[in-house]
Amino acid sequence: MTAISVSNLQKTFQTKRKAAGLGGSVRALFQPEYATVEAVRGLSFEMEQGELLGFIGPNGAGKSTTIKILTGILHPNGGQASVLGFTPWKERQKLAFQIGTVFGQRPQLWYHLPAIDTFTLFGKIYELDDAFTKKRIAFLTEAFEIGDLLETPVRKLSLGQRMRCEVAASLLHKPKLLLLDEPSIGLDVVAKQHIRDAIRTMSAEEGVGVLLTSHDASDLEALCHRVIIVNHGQIVYQDKVSNLKRKFLTRKLVEVRYAEEVAKNFALEGMETLKTGRYGVKLTFDTRQTPADAVLSRLSSAGTLVDITISDPPLEEVIAMIYEQAREEK
Amino acid sequence: MKKYWHLFKVQLINSLAYPGELIGRSLVIFPFMWIFYQLWKVTFAANGSTEINGLTFPMTLWYLMIAETIELSRPRLANTISEAVKDGSIAYTLNKPYNFLLYHFSTSMGETIFRALVNALLGSALVWWLVGAPPSLLGWPLTLLTMLGAWTLNFCLSAFIGLAAFIVEDTSAFQWIYQKMAFILGGLLIPLDFYPEWLQAIAKALPFASMTYGPARLFVSPTIPAFLSTLAMQAIWILVLAILLTITYRRNISHLALNGG
Repeated sequence: MTAISVSNLQKTFQTKRKAAGLGGSVRALFQPEYATVEAVRGLSFEMEQGELLGFIGPNGAGKSTTIKILTGILHPNGGQASVLGFTPWKERQKLAFQIGTVFGQRPQLWYHLPAIDTFTLFGKIYELDDAFTKKRIAFLTEAFEIGDLLETPVRKLSLGQRMRCEVAASLLHKPKLLLLDEPSIGLDVVAKQHIRDAIRTMSAEEGVGVLLTSHDASDLEALCHRVIIVNHGQIVYQDKVSNLKRKFLTRKLVEVRYAEEVAKNFALEGMETLKTGRYGVKLTFDTRQTPADAVLSRLSSAGTLVDITISDPPLEEVIAMIYEQAREEK
Repeated sequence: MKKYWHLFKVQLINSLAYPGELIGRSLVIFPFMWIFYQLWKVTFAANGSTEINGLTFPMTLWYLMIAETIELSRPRLANTISEAVKDGSIAYTLNKPYNFLLYHFSTSMGETIFRALVNALLGSALVWWLVGAPPSLLGWPLTLLTMLGAWTLNFCLSAFIGLAAFIVEDTSAFQWIYQKMAFILGGLLIPLDFYPEWLQAIAKALPFASMTYGPARLFVSPTIPAFLSTLAMQAIWILVLAILLTITYRRNISHLALNGG
């Protein structure tokens, strides 16, 4: 079943332009100049029920705007969208019962109150019966490991703790679809891991679909089945995460350590030397040009191998490469 | 409707998060009432009579205490909405299954109650000490009920200004104008009774008078007919403004452009 279907979605904003300084401000007062910002330019995509879809792009790519249109907060200037069968901006309240949202940069929990109060309040807002709310809170408390945080005023929680409560709150009414806008922003590695684990568990157990925006590629790797890469309000790439890796992660990094000292000008055919140390070398090669087999045999013929590490370049680099390609194609 | 009641309750608890701040802010009623006391003492003395247009000196002070309580405890809703538009947090109030206006109504009422209570307590203590007991016990319940109407009215007007934020983002100029209108045409500094007849007639027909003058005047001369006519006036304005508000909301929501993120 299709959870989200978007075709040719467009959103433009009018922003006032003003020259620098006081003179510019005065001029802008009498002759305002407007610049049209095209935040979303003809976006089309589909998302299946239960899918984990990543929406990746740099700042200002139109990710958040798209999410805000899909939740019904913003009205698009053109195009169609259907979320769980609703047109978001026309049926915002009906849709709200079915989806959960988290905007990583803004809190939805009441700042001065303990999270449990907001949870109970959300129970009322989503018209859940009290017994269900209670059971659900107990369940989410376990899934997100927030048992000892629930009774602390939210303002006293760390960002990581708060985010876990935020995501848990968004799942209280058992939504079919979770829209997460930058859920991992500002979090440290451990806190990110915590949130991802919980989201993955919830998705597996309840079949909730997750549309997640991020500018952090590691979110994708850890969570998503499929990725859509956007830039300047347009899709520049969409595929399964595994395909993305297969296609773009052909360049490998190799680090080797030998039992004896290596030559300063260490070089092997089909590989590029990045760094040479006294006993070790760091190289890179492309599997499309040089098979790993050949690389290994060449490396071992150069001396007695003590240690070897082969790794993929970080996904960030891959995505940067895709942006680069998209720019060149224009 | 249950959810709005709950929202009200949660905001009520929330407003107690910083009790020190709550009381501290209300202390401002002391200097205000002290200044009014001095000002009107001189005025009444200069006038040479104990009564001006039906109000005695103690009545005037009690009137001003109620008017100040309403003004000081009314929530700055226009500001709340326009801040939420500016920093983008309005995204959350718009994507929950509740009516945006009713949400703000419930929470702003929840914000008001304790503030009004503390203001009224501190204000009454001072005025009582300065000029003696309030004119009539009946004033309390009648004024309390019309205060609810006053805040509802304030809600409609502030929400109206707040909705302008969907388009212009910053509404502080409108808020300033609104506040000054409430000061002058609502009878916050000078009871409307002291105005010339023609100005009184204009002021009393406008919603500002139903917000401050109505309940405050009722407090010092509480009669059932006055109570009913204040309520009726409030009801008419609330109805008119609520309709306008709903229409404006529907129209403005599609203009909303969110900042940040």
